[in-house]
Amino acid sequence: MSHEPSPLRDYARHVGLWIVAIALIFVAWELVLVATGLPAYVIPPPGKAIGVIFDNIPLMTQLTSQTLSETFYGYIVGAVLGVVLAVIMAQVPIVHRLLYPALITSQAVPIVAIAAPLVIIFGFGLTPKLIIVAWIVFFPVVVNVLDGLASVDHDQINLARLLGGTRLRTFMIVRLPACIGPLFSGLKIGACYAVTGAVIGEWTASSHIGLGTYLLTANAQMNTAGVYGAMLLLTAIGIGSFLFVVIVEHFATPWRTRMTAPAYFGGNIPPHASTQKQKV
Amino acid sequence: MSGEAGVKLAIRNLNHNFGSFRALNDVSLDIKDGEFVCILGASGCGKSTLFNAVSGLLTISAGQILLDGKNIAGKPGQVGYMLQKDLLLPWRTVLGNITLGASLTRGAHKADREKAAELAYHYGLGDFLRHYPRSLSGGMRQRVALMRTIAAGRELMLLDEPFGALDSQTRIGMQQWLLEIWREMKRTVMFVTHDVDEAIFLADRVVVMLPKPGRIGWILDIEIPRPRAMDCMTSPAFVEIKRQVMEMLYSQATLHGVPGAQPGGLKVPA
Repeated sequence: MSHEPSPLRDYARHVGLWIVAIALIFVAWELVLVATGLPAYVIPPPGKAIGVIFDNIPLMTQLTSQTLSETFYGYIVGAVLGVVLAVIMAQVPIVHRLLYPALITSQAVPIVAIAAPLVIIFGFGLTPKLIIVAWIVFFPVVVNVLDGLASVDHDQINLARLLGGTRLRTFMIVRLPACIGPLFSGLKIGACYAVTGAVIGEWTASSHIGLGTYLLTANAQMNTAGVYGAMLLLTAIGIGSFLFVVIVEHFATPWRTRMTAPAYFGGNIPPHASTQKQKV
Repeated sequence: MSGEAGVKLAIRNLNHNFGSFRALNDVSLDIKDGEFVCILGASGCGKSTLFNAVSGLLTISAGQILLDGKNIAGKPGQVGYMLQKDLLLPWRTVLGNITLGASLTRGAHKADREKAAELAYHYGLGDFLRHYPRSLSGGMRQRVALMRTIAAGRELMLLDEPFGALDSQTRIGMQQWLLEIWREMKRTVMFVTHDVDEAIFLADRVVVMLPKPGRIGWILDIEIPRPRAMDCMTSPAFVEIKRQVMEMLYSQATLHGVPGAQPGGLKVPA
């Protein structure tokens, strides 16, 4: 039997570090206020910002779920588009050459500048927010997946040819899995940025109020505790998305952390039929 | 062209040029069914070009490569193939890597996995079937790569310095392991190496290649009885063969003036 490192203790240490890091930010926040003597209407103390959230739980839940769903669906659309686009670009060189400059251009356009026309075209509903989030997310995904697909060892491809591999199977078995690592790098970057896209979408125009809309309103009313409360929740969405991707990555790529395959990932091995039987 | 009786691979007047550089010059060689032939030479003598030509990866300039009488020049997928790099897929288990050939052609079925597992158990990899390659040592990885080559089921196996990256103790173990497999599986092996000891220890015949242009210099029958144990490497017969081979390689590397050593003139079948 093989020895797997105990994952539980690793997780406990990771979670502990996260808690310490976040606590340190709150401590620093508090210290800045004490040191500068800034009044609470300029920067509220952490307790007040958190208090706003807990005093308005039904409203905050509603706002958070609105922004979260924009982020989530936009993220899925962006990630899927990114992978599909990268695969097509890797397979068809002419598409690659034509689209690559367009990809760079798409990211050079300020995202705020795209938001306004999207609202004019698609209205105040969910669609323009999805597009903005997807717009932000798909870029790191495309770039990383393309790199992953290009990084496959040439000898590896030759080996597949010599084993008589078909084109499709060689792609699915040898090339595509090679981009899973880079794909997750792109997905993690995207997870942090996605929530920004949702907020920008809400700022431009919105029929449903989310955390971004609330933040603008609170700002206009000089409700700084509200602003900081919304900011904390948005940050939590960002961190939560990132951690979610990390967890998915952990289970989807067991070969990067484990010595042996888990049962859910091809770890089932045919029983040893001929333990002491004759030679093969 | 029909195959001669007992000849597995026939290479006829093979020439290959890279631009104006002649990499292989008029190479002809017959390998018998079940034979273990080592191709020995310094780097730049065309060993790997010959290897790639037989594998079908290279489109040769002229000549014929016949496997069981059928021309396989430029047709990949006819022979087994293994390199110094193990080329294991990191996301596949040992078992998944051994069954790669089946997965790439038609999908690995239960029978393929069972057969591969049997093979692995028999040759000492049974405890590692669920392991990912990253958890294995270099020697173990090469064992898996060899199992993958065997499981692909080709009768002729090309091995290009498969143990070249291993430390010498591991390499000796691997050589004995390979001979055991070869004896039991009755495959034909073409083994490329630059290690004189390795070539003599493994081979029925050693083909010494010479550079500029890459060509066959000599072919030596190795008449050391099998099964060969490690101590045969210090036997007088072994040492004498080694002396001859070194002379062939060394005379070429310095001057053409060693008595009796005429490139292309010794023991080459007409």
